[in-house]
Amino acid sequence: MSDAPKQDLVMAHLVSLRYEEPLSRILDRFVDGLMEGRILGHRCPACRRVYVPAKGYCPLCVVETTEADEVEVADTGVVTGFTIITPVAYYGQEETEPFVYASVLLDGSDANLGGQDIVGIPHDQVRAGLRVRAVWRPPAERSAEGITNRGWGSVGSAIDAFTPTDEPDAPPEQYAEHLF
Amino acid sequence: MAATDIAVIGFAQTPAERRAEGNEVQLLVPTVSAALAMAGLDRREVGFTCAGSCDYLTGGPFAFVQNLEAAGAWPPIEESHVEMDGAWALYEAWVRLQHGDIDTALVFGSGKSSPADPAALWPQQLDPYTLAPLGVDPVSLAALQARSLIHRGLATERDFAEVAVRSRRAALANPHAQVRGEADVEALLAEPYVRDPLRRHDLPPISDGAVAVVLARGDRAQALCARPAWIRGIDHRIEVHQPGMRDLTESPSTTLAAERAGYDGGPLDVAELSAVFSPQEGILRRALALPEGTDANPSGGPLAANPVMATGLVRIAEVAARIIDGRADRGLAHATGGQLLQHNLVCLMEGR
Repeated sequence: MSDAPKQDLVMAHLVSLRYEEPLSRILDRFVDGLMEGRILGHRCPACRRVYVPAKGYCPLCVVETTEADEVEVADTGVVTGFTIITPVAYYGQEETEPFVYASVLLDGSDANLGGQDIVGIPHDQVRAGLRVRAVWRPPAERSAEGITNRGWGSVGSAIDAFTPTDEPDAPPEQYAEHLF
Repeated sequence: MAATDIAVIGFAQTPAERRAEGNEVQLLVPTVSAALAMAGLDRREVGFTCAGSCDYLTGGPFAFVQNLEAAGAWPPIEESHVEMDGAWALYEAWVRLQHGDIDTALVFGSGKSSPADPAALWPQQLDPYTLAPLGVDPVSLAALQARSLIHRGLATERDFAEVAVRSRRAALANPHAQVRGEADVEALLAEPYVRDPLRRHDLPPISDGAVAVVLARGDRAQALCARPAWIRGIDHRIEVHQPGMRDLTESPSTTLAAERAGYDGGPLDVAELSAVFSPQEGILRRALALPEGTDANPSGGPLAANPVMATGLVRIAEVAARIIDGRADRGLAHATGGQLLQHNLVCLMEGR
């Protein structure tokens, strides 16, 4: 054995994996809806809950849903929960200023849209129960970007944020079952 | 209660497809429901649920959590997951059933190989210091194994082609198979190498698919199924990771797992082997000392359909299917994980 001091061997091993898959038919239709300014979901034939975007099944009843169960929901809803994120610099973080990350329960839907920005109101006034409506991108600027079969899709490529409707707050019992 | 009174009483699988439209949970929803329906069991009666899948395949952290929706996780259920083939999920459920407080279990395995490039993905399961940086893919590794067999005089390229011909022919009767048909050995041998000495027919197809199996214990199994496929023994053993430190022409862990599963070398009506590359069938036949006349891979095996993370559990389902419907009395299923038969599981099943 050598008497030389031991040194840790450090090696870089950068991994890059690429995944490609066509959008499922359900999400394809969901995207088509967003392009037209419509938000589509499926209503479970058993429990009547509405999922936006649709999954093709109800996770509570384990019943399959199809286009026959399609419903359109409103682009207005209620903030059920939120956090104000103060970004710290890390790889991939593009935000530099504090921003809102809110769950919005659309009128007619039983599933929150997660991770929505709330604009047109100071951060310290964002609250659960706040009534909001979608701030749509102009049709020409909407896309399918960020909508994948894995994340069940989002609305971020068509709706930039939600903004207060100035209606009275929704009472907690209206969204208590949907806190997230 | 004995460890030998646990049986397969239901199963279902998707067809293996080169590119399935649905994501894993969408493949699993109807599959799990069909397996439970065959077992005559309501999902709320299931005592324990265990799933096998691979987040690297799915392409998302914690992707396996979503798959649980196929089992119906509300009201909350008792469940677990293995980042392994579904055959190991079945092993965990088999252990769990032996606690004695529950008498049914649901297991499933699922995987979609279509979204990513398997040659880029699978090197990531190798030792990150010496093997993964080389980018050595499963086909290259399998070619090294095939070359070892040829050098030892244990097999020829013709033997490999004959395995593929038998597999494709057997798969004609398998509605879930992806590669099937009559093929001619000479014609196959005239094809170019993909990785010398392997040709395309020596490789499994790239498949998307899912499988679900229902287990029950003792009286419950008998009440639910006219002829349960009793698991007489199940065991799994693993070998050293580095292919260079193993004799690639044999599979001692398979031999040991079979021994510990109680396989005594007696007659078998059916054996389903996870010979993912054609040369591995011979290795496994020798490791298991399969008796002459054993119907090996009557489903066509992984050369006909290879939904990774489900492939091993499909072997168990295929053997169980033949016992439950009375075509077989005694069968053996083999599953594998890791590279080049590194980790092997053997499940011995009987109709009585």
